[in-house]
Amino acid sequence: MIYVVLAFLAVSLLLYVLLAGADFGAGIIELFSSKENQAINKKTVYQVMGPVWEANHIWIIILIVILWIAFPHYYNILVLALHIPLTLVLLGITLRGVAFVFRYYDAYKDSSQILYDWMFKTSSLVTPIFLGLTMGGVVSGDIINPSQMENHSFLEVYVHSWFNIFSILTGFFYAALCAFLASVFLIGEVDDTSKSMYMRKASIATIVVVSLGFITLAYGYLSGIAFVVDFISNIWSVSAIIVSGILLFPLWKNIKSGRRIISRALAGMQIFFILFAATITHFPNILFTTNGSISIYEHPVPDSVMNVLGISLLIGGVLIIPGLIHLLTSFKLIKLLEK
Amino acid sequence: MENIDAARLQMAFTLIFHIVFACIGMVMPFFMVVSHKKWLNTRNPIYLTLTKSWQKGVAIFFVTGAVSGTALSFELGLLWPEFMKHAGPIIGMPFSLEGAAFFVEAVALGFYLYGWKKIPETFHWFTGIIVGISGVMSGILVVSANGWMNAPSGFDYINGEFLNIDPVKALFNPAWFNQALHMTLAAFTATGFAVAGIHAYQVYKKRNVELHKKAFKIAIAFAAIAAILQPLSGDLSAKDIAERQPVKLAAMEAHYETKNGAPLYIGGIVDNETQEVKYKLEIPNALSFLAFGDFNAEVKGLNDFPKDEQPNVAMVHYAFQTMVGLGTLLMIAGMLFFVAKYKKKSWFNMPKFWLLFALLAPLGFVALEAGWIVTEVGRQPWIIHNIMKTKDAITPMPGIVFSLYTYIAVYTILTIAVTWLMARQIKFLNSVKTNEA
Repeated sequence: MIYVVLAFLAVSLLLYVLLAGADFGAGIIELFSSKENQAINKKTVYQVMGPVWEANHIWIIILIVILWIAFPHYYNILVLALHIPLTLVLLGITLRGVAFVFRYYDAYKDSSQILYDWMFKTSSLVTPIFLGLTMGGVVSGDIINPSQMENHSFLEVYVHSWFNIFSILTGFFYAALCAFLASVFLIGEVDDTSKSMYMRKASIATIVVVSLGFITLAYGYLSGIAFVVDFISNIWSVSAIIVSGILLFPLWKNIKSGRRIISRALAGMQIFFILFAATITHFPNILFTTNGSISIYEHPVPDSVMNVLGISLLIGGVLIIPGLIHLLTSFKLIKLLEK
Repeated sequence: MENIDAARLQMAFTLIFHIVFACIGMVMPFFMVVSHKKWLNTRNPIYLTLTKSWQKGVAIFFVTGAVSGTALSFELGLLWPEFMKHAGPIIGMPFSLEGAAFFVEAVALGFYLYGWKKIPETFHWFTGIIVGISGVMSGILVVSANGWMNAPSGFDYINGEFLNIDPVKALFNPAWFNQALHMTLAAFTATGFAVAGIHAYQVYKKRNVELHKKAFKIAIAFAAIAAILQPLSGDLSAKDIAERQPVKLAAMEAHYETKNGAPLYIGGIVDNETQEVKYKLEIPNALSFLAFGDFNAEVKGLNDFPKDEQPNVAMVHYAFQTMVGLGTLLMIAGMLFFVAKYKKKSWFNMPKFWLLFALLAPLGFVALEAGWIVTEVGRQPWIIHNIMKTKDAITPMPGIVFSLYTYIAVYTILTIAVTWLMARQIKFLNSVKTNEA
């Protein structure tokens, strides 16, 4: 049953990074756009993401609920060491969600829209940065094991764990990835004039993602971060990253010829390979403290808990997935048989 | 401020905020589908306008409820890591099912909001029903997790370890049913009176009277029925607490000395030092009867419990009095509505009738929050009743007070913004009709 739970954990993580990432990215693109393009983007985001955007963000709830039920000790270290960036992520999610509703549901469209738009755009940038920072913090090797917290200062325990160059680079890398995903996803949704705008954004985002990815890995390698050093010497991780990079070529070909389902699938696969590369090297030891890595299996929960969770997830999946697919197809967000 | 006080205040503050939004997001879909059904049956365009404006309310409150709920699911771990480390696996089941119910709700809401004229009419209406039902399911499941903190079960606690965990038994803990029933009725009462009150005020002000009267009648019907049933559920809860958490009951009643045939105090000012309740109304033997169904039953007093295992008596007592007092008032108001509906139709033409219901608008929520203060403060000093103390569950990270200030700032702004947004919805609704007329 633990494999069912792990599968749901992995799927939630992938979908959150992908779908919420595209949501964040749409806001980031709007932040770096001219006035007219901002208006186009605002309309497109409403049409495309309106019906599903809330569903996109539920994956993070599923993710943390699985963590705390099935891997409580692992989760415990995360919430202690990464309290501050997680709180900032939360504030970002809150402000962004509220701004999203306000800008589309306010009865009057007047000057208050300027405030909503500003809130939406900035929180769309700040939230994924802190999310990426948190993910970077998990692997940067600066987390202090809770059993040794008493011998360390506040800064060492609660700040250095995530406020380090590697984590910050990861944060910016994830934000760039979001912008990349959003531009690829939105290209298929607009008419030809707006299309070129998203194409331009997508090419800029691609360049930023690739260079930030390279800088992050290079920095990690040069400063001897165990996670990156092992990562680079592991054949699976390196191949996954290379595949992810190579996929850019078919991706661009498909974007240019307007095959939006294939291009989305390719972008999704790229994210899958990046996450696969990041976890495969050390799995199940995917948390790095100042004195070594910690396994997600440490202090396992009893089988009774794992079984009930696995069954609940399976039942939930059976209930939700058909509905979700029906929702996506009803509003033509996915054309399963696109010609 | 001590870390523990800051953490408890932050939790209380975010919960108080979330409860309002979650209740409205959970109950308003029912008003919306009734109005929608009336539109489908009568094709009276007023019902369509009403449905669409309520739908906007549902969307706004669903999202604010969802984001504040996301915040809470993180806060549980961030503020109370020691609690989550042990309790997480045990009470994980209601949370994972709640996640599923919430997901269903989000999918159904996606259909409902964006489905106008795009999907078949009956199916569209039906998705609104799913929104309502899954919302109520979410509420019940989360309350079940809270029930477990009051009535921990589904494990053996041996030498400080939680062994033989049975998540299903924890989900169906002894407190879940009474708490879930009481909370669901409270949600309908509070939201119903709030929505009805807002529309009553519009009728009182003679704005778009026809629409607001229709809206009022839908909302108040739910609220009145729930308010009339609520005392029965309250009685079940009181008897349950008398059994399982006698110290909470004693604090609710400011009852210090163990007694046979204990009296019931109504109102009064609690002095915890002298253990006296001044200026109260005393009904002899009533507490024994309410708690155990026997006028001479023994009711345990606070003095039977160690000082460090008692909650803040005055706060619990005042909150309890507020809840019961307002609940009774709303029950009477609910009866008034039915009298007006079936016997005294002329009341609907009296401005005073509308003013009365406008004034009642916030009281359901005041009662509901007071009720949560009773159950949460009344459980202290325990986070898991008789197993783990709140002070042992808190994060070791210092400086929670800064986190508290941030939350207060953000949530205050949110409250103002959402209120403002609602006011604009109503203003817009009124302007639309005047233009047409």
